[in-house]
Amino acid sequence: MSMLEEFQRIGRDLFLSGLVSSHGGNMSVRMGDRVLITHRGSQLGQITEEDVVETGLFDNDSGIMLASSETPVHRTIYMQTSGLAIVHAHPKVAVALSLFEDEIIPIDNEGSYLLHKVPVIASEIASGTAMAGIVAESLQKYKITMVRGHGCFAIGQVLEEAYQWVSCLEESALVIYYSRTLGGQMKEFRKNADQYKKW
Amino acid sequence: MGGWVGKIARINLSTGKISVEDLPQKTAVDYLGGRGLGARILYDEVGPSVEPYSPDNLLIFTTGPLTGTKAPSSSRFSVTTKSPLTGTILDSNCGGKAGLRLKDAGYDALIISGKAAKPVCIIVDEKGIKIQDAGQLWGKDVNETTDILLGQAANPLTASVACIGPAGENLVRFAAVINDKSKAVGRGGVGAVMGSKNLKAVVTSGESKQIAADQETLDFIVYEARKVIKQSPITSIGLPTYGTSALVRVMDMMGAFPSYNFTESIFEHLNDISGEMLREKLFIKQKACWGCPIGCKRETKTANGTGEGPEYESLWALGPECGIHDLEAIADANYLCNRLGLDTISTGVTIGCAMELEKRGIADEGVRFGDAKSMLKAVGDIAYRRNHGDALAEGSRRMAEKHGAKEFAMQAKSMEFPAYEPRAMGVQGLSFATSNRGGCHLRGNMLGPEMLGVPKIVDHSGATGTVGLLIYHQHISAAFDSLGVCKFAGFAVSDELLARMMTAITGIEFVPQNLHHAGERIWNLERLYNLREGFTSKDDTLPKRLMEEPLKDGPAKGRVVKLAPQLEEYYRYRGWDANGVPKKEKLKQLGLEA
Repeated sequence: MSMLEEFQRIGRDLFLSGLVSSHGGNMSVRMGDRVLITHRGSQLGQITEEDVVETGLFDNDSGIMLASSETPVHRTIYMQTSGLAIVHAHPKVAVALSLFEDEIIPIDNEGSYLLHKVPVIASEIASGTAMAGIVAESLQKYKITMVRGHGCFAIGQVLEEAYQWVSCLEESALVIYYSRTLGGQMKEFRKNADQYKKW
Repeated sequence: MGGWVGKIARINLSTGKISVEDLPQKTAVDYLGGRGLGARILYDEVGPSVEPYSPDNLLIFTTGPLTGTKAPSSSRFSVTTKSPLTGTILDSNCGGKAGLRLKDAGYDALIISGKAAKPVCIIVDEKGIKIQDAGQLWGKDVNETTDILLGQAANPLTASVACIGPAGENLVRFAAVINDKSKAVGRGGVGAVMGSKNLKAVVTSGESKQIAADQETLDFIVYEARKVIKQSPITSIGLPTYGTSALVRVMDMMGAFPSYNFTESIFEHLNDISGEMLREKLFIKQKACWGCPIGCKRETKTANGTGEGPEYESLWALGPECGIHDLEAIADANYLCNRLGLDTISTGVTIGCAMELEKRGIADEGVRFGDAKSMLKAVGDIAYRRNHGDALAEGSRRMAEKHGAKEFAMQAKSMEFPAYEPRAMGVQGLSFATSNRGGCHLRGNMLGPEMLGVPKIVDHSGATGTVGLLIYHQHISAAFDSLGVCKFAGFAVSDELLARMMTAITGIEFVPQNLHHAGERIWNLERLYNLREGFTSKDDTLPKRLMEEPLKDGPAKGRVVKLAPQLEEYYRYRGWDANGVPKKEKLKQLGLEA
């Protein structure tokens, strides 16, 4: 599978599973000192060859004219973490939870197992250097992090891995939402449930 | 410092002088331990003028900060030296108990220099270190040596013997150090360097007393790590049930299972030597290294005896690589390699190379494809440098070169390849070509992402993007080797879990990027070492066969390794120049500037 096909496959799934709106979200892959990133304003569900643009990781070039407006965030993440791929999405339930919580601690089995805890950080400007710094700092410790009221950034060795964290987070957020809606006393099934907060 | 003991012992076998010094905390944090610490010491103290068998070469036993801790699969220790096989920097590691007993005795590392006037062994325990006569042990095999030395230990249950067999004594260039009778510090000739120093064995003893900075958090993270090991079918079913030989069928299915000295990429007698057949015919019981919840080892039996193995690589090297499908003969050869102290991979691939030379009418070193009897005889002859064994003991590259047929040696930088057909994989060939210790799968194995889907399956046709992934794996592999953790745990345990365990044990905050950064620093330091030794980008290469002869059949039919463009991309990604030399900015970033 070519890199373009990988962008297309993950982009389509992000859109169809409701993790991004028509023109929301972005993705990138690190290639040494270069970055392949989705075009500014592209539709992740309809990625074409023109929608994946190349620019420098450390230095600007004309590719920046076309790249996602969140390229500075992606660059900072690559410079400060071991990630080789980034998915940024707007998972609705997780975004809603982020408006009320400082961290999202999954209570379902898969979310507990894979994520343990997802921190929520706050930044009003979606693409500024200030946000880039705090997102990257958070991703040094966690594979996915939420920006309050905005969306999440996830890193992986490949796009599919980063996508998995996003999808897992949204499912966990949904389970939290359903559980709160149901009310009552939750029956704990995890041996070290009290430790997840410390993750 | 939790994790590190904080002490290094120096032992000069020429003078008998023994001294102890502190391990600087910055060195510990920057290089972690194990392979990284060994590389730092060797770079600083063994320059290009030192020949591998010179008394001035060092033999460095190192442990990692996680060695012997509650971290799963964490019994590993390393031995670092200048390799007599490759001439490169070399470290090899294994999962025996020698490392954790060394830490229990109170040392992170032993730096052994000089050459004893007569055979000796080194005894390390909590009371101190002594050099002891080993004249009566010289000439004995690994099992005999181990039994005798354990019999002399105050408490055999807390002692561990790492020794050489006749192969190391006879300076076979790929002689191993064998720990606990069956765990091989296998590759590159660490056993030969030990033999060149007249050092028969290192015995380490101690009672476990390791403490963690944050025991409660460590317990939680270890619990989580063991949970992911239990959930992965690789680490919870495949490896425990079939051992590493579970890979035989998987690799053959992918057309990546070389045979007949890499002239074929599948094996017609696969069913005779599969993991399933091994379990059915030879299996006695599952075994595990200390502290390992996976348990990929197995005790086996043949008509001639019992032993551990054969592992996937050994099974392949002494089997299909030589066109042999007699499973009992393969296991017997494996037991013999362990007793004599030989690296099974280099042994098998060197014999396989000689078999091809015989088939082509180039040379007759007494072995024939498919002839198990000649292979078994060759193993013994190599260890004692008898008859044709003397030529074979030099390794495939030197042996083939002697006959003017270097291109038939399946090696990179003189180290024989393991059981992965690079033409059927994306960047495994690049991994072999760029490995700092020569053609080896453990320096950045693409088995996970290209074959097993860990973390996700990626295109293994060499598509764009996988070069970066290889570099990622080279770095994290260096970290695993330096922490003292088995890479098989890495099929389930993430860098995130490792970093959290490091934090809980040492009390120093580690994030995954710290491990990758340390791995990159170690990789570049090893590269600098090899460049200083005179290696150049021309040595980052593969045998012509892999780059020019398309595979004849199987799923990867028609493919070759397109090394040149991958190498160009690799150097650029690494921040090296076109000649494969790290740029100043890269060295500065890694704290390696002169």
